[in-house]
Amino acid sequence: MAVAAPQTRHAEHEGPPVRPTGRRRWTAGGWLRVAWIVPLAFLLVPVLVLALRHWLSYPSSPFSVLNPLDDSGWNDDFWRFAKQDLQPLITTWTVVVPFAFLAGIGGFDYWAYWISGRPTRPEDHSGHGARTWRDYFRVNTDHKVIGIQYVVTTIIFFIAGGLLAMFLRAELAKPGMQIVDPQGYNGLFSVHAALMIFLFIIPAFAGLGNYVIPLMIGAPDMAFPRLNALSFWLLPIAGLMMLSSYLVGPFAAGWTNYVPLAVQQPEGNLFFQMGVQWAGASSILTALNFLVTIITMRAPGMTFWRMPLLVWANFATSTLVVIATPFIAGSQFFILFDRVLHTNFFDAGEGGYPLGYQHIFWFYSHPAVYIMMLPGFGIVSEVISVFARKPIFGYRLMALSLMAILILGFSVWAHHMFVSGMAAWLRVPMMVTTMIIAVPTGIKVFSWLATLWEGRIRFKTPMLFALGFVSMFVIGGLSGVYLGSIPIDIHTSDTYFVVAHIHYVLFGGSLFTIYAGFYYWFPKMTGRMYNEALGKLHFWLTFIGFNATFFPMHWIGVRGMPRRVADYDPQFANWNLIISIASFFLGASTLVFLYNMLVSWRSGEPAPGNPWRALTLEWQVSSPPPVFNFDEIPQVVGSPYEYGVRGARHAVLNGAPTTQGREAAPMEESVP
Amino acid sequence: MASVAHAPEHDHHGPPAANVSSRVDARLLGIYIFIASEVMLFGSFFTAFFFARIIVPNETWPPEPFELPVYLALINTIILVTSSFTMHWALQSIKRNYRAGLIAGLTLTFLLGLTFLLIQAREYTRIGFAPKDLAFGSSFFGLTGLHGMHVFVGLNLLLYALIRSIRGHFGPKAHDHLGVEIPGIYWHFVDVMWIIVYVTVYVI
Repeated sequence: MAVAAPQTRHAEHEGPPVRPTGRRRWTAGGWLRVAWIVPLAFLLVPVLVLALRHWLSYPSSPFSVLNPLDDSGWNDDFWRFAKQDLQPLITTWTVVVPFAFLAGIGGFDYWAYWISGRPTRPEDHSGHGARTWRDYFRVNTDHKVIGIQYVVTTIIFFIAGGLLAMFLRAELAKPGMQIVDPQGYNGLFSVHAALMIFLFIIPAFAGLGNYVIPLMIGAPDMAFPRLNALSFWLLPIAGLMMLSSYLVGPFAAGWTNYVPLAVQQPEGNLFFQMGVQWAGASSILTALNFLVTIITMRAPGMTFWRMPLLVWANFATSTLVVIATPFIAGSQFFILFDRVLHTNFFDAGEGGYPLGYQHIFWFYSHPAVYIMMLPGFGIVSEVISVFARKPIFGYRLMALSLMAILILGFSVWAHHMFVSGMAAWLRVPMMVTTMIIAVPTGIKVFSWLATLWEGRIRFKTPMLFALGFVSMFVIGGLSGVYLGSIPIDIHTSDTYFVVAHIHYVLFGGSLFTIYAGFYYWFPKMTGRMYNEALGKLHFWLTFIGFNATFFPMHWIGVRGMPRRVADYDPQFANWNLIISIASFFLGASTLVFLYNMLVSWRSGEPAPGNPWRALTLEWQVSSPPPVFNFDEIPQVVGSPYEYGVRGARHAVLNGAPTTQGREAAPMEESVP
Repeated sequence: MASVAHAPEHDHHGPPAANVSSRVDARLLGIYIFIASEVMLFGSFFTAFFFARIIVPNETWPPEPFELPVYLALINTIILVTSSFTMHWALQSIKRNYRAGLIAGLTLTFLLGLTFLLIQAREYTRIGFAPKDLAFGSSFFGLTGLHGMHVFVGLNLLLYALIRSIRGHFGPKAHDHLGVEIPGIYWHFVDVMWIIVYVTVYVI
């Protein structure tokens, strides 16, 4: 990574942080401490669990059947009971080992000092900035380093989730079973969905926001930098936990994990429940951090009505995360208790209410749809305004529609349950609110179109993805309106129509905006330009591959092909073969993206501070930004979107008004 | 590489001080938002409780033959409510720079909280049903257990504040006693939540 001049300037003053040497390297926070503390915790758990169960004389303790005087097959009994003990063991492992890891890497160091009453080390800012690539593998409190850690981690899990999807499509290319058995197939789509949702889309937005938001609002860092570092390190834990379910057989009840199926599944299901807790904790803590940063750390003059829409979008999203995520935590706790403690939250025979799970789950997971969409709305608003060289149309309504979606998002959850057998009177109100929520979304779409109207559009890669998003999201949104109306939903429930819909919303919607964001801020984050030709190639390959893969699914869905079933009727064979071939094409198009990112990061052209001639504050500093973002906190004096408006200023930085990118006329291709 | 014009060289050893754009202290706002999230976590457990109690038809609540120790829990409620007052006293003491009051208040709060937890543990062992006994038992132990976990976390926070106040930390300025105020806010939340749990589970 290119080190900008301002960074070295600061580095001269402070020097690199002093790292411990000799024996103290094993006790100071870092990978060496992880190397002994994690195996120790891993071994300690079975000892403690088995000892405790033996001491409390639980019948299933394997030691209770250990009778050395009787050699008639105690071995079998021992292992049978040991296998029964696997659930409490896995649960305890998935709680204790992550804590050991976080303690080992140094995520708790500061708080450990605080707790014990020792003087806490004052923040000397030596942990800010990344001097070598190794700094990205340490606990770092710099929001820019954390942002890059987030983005790279999520891309890795994106690749993992994508490979699982390739296996799915390979299995579905032909009717009959070829590659996996039905349980394995269920595992593939469950892990695919869980990784894409919890380890890619949600945290990728958190990563971009982490990098950009403090810069955009004129703050030197996030409000709680240590908490920020901790919330990042929770993320790889959650992802590895979900992937490690493959050690005992993957969780296979879908990412929705409905009861009673989830309770009857093998042990792998526990990895989903605990993985969700860790990923959820990560996103709640990040959201809390965003909210406090946005409320308390805005630059002077940066009123709420002068905030860039990305900041608005993350404000709305963070509110959703803080309020809604505890409900999925609760829902997975109940399943965990039902499995491990043999409680009866959802067992109808014991007075439980099975549909209760779906209500609690969707009370989170419908707002989660907006958690996965609103930050994308923010990114697209930035990109479209900058590349159309026009003020965003209806700025206030754009912000207010985000808040309207936030509130309405909590009133539509049961439209996922029209065929579940829930109370019939709940169906029509949920249908009506679902239709209403299309209104603020429609306001946004029309505002983007009005922003484009008569703009001087530059078709750079971020803009292509933003335009691709608007068109594809309209398709996904419309099929959502279809699914929101009860009669159509009853016909298409659990068919490929739903698969098509969710992929038009999450792939054509969220993923396209994430790509737009990656390309848009790539020069800022790395200090280098990406290859524009490869970027455009990536867009067109993705756009074509995406439509070829998912559009036919509408058709076979309406014709009745059920989703989440490993085998299918031979009448769908041709379409599925076409879809599978298109999906491999789509998967391969990601290689262009990865190649472009990796090669450009290493040896791309050095990026100027403001390659897109944008007005927002992150583009007014060098690329990559100085260690502390700004030498002085800027003074904000106007709207962030006044492109082409003479004399308009967004901010005053270091005593000079921000002029880069202000004027719309002089452009590289069209000089009047 | 293009870079902004820098202000004349003066030694920057740290970031520029962030602008303060809200009258609320960042850390106080943080704990309030965290508590909002916690309220929703309790909300999911209350939802499960009401599903088992109202959506599923029950002839009696609690179902025969189970009974809830309403009066023992009332004593526990009084203990926990008292601890909120001692917590408030501790905070007011350090605001007036009265360290003995701070230490005594935190100690009393800690001991009252511990008493609450021990009484609850004793109640659990003699209550006559287990988490696996009907959705009733599950949601009862779910709600009270979740609350008990929060009391446990609160006790930890109080203990850390106590250790630091014995070591002479904290002062009367608003900035200097956040380490007492924030555990205090959490403790009041745990207290108010218990009143709601008590009324919902035991009384009505």
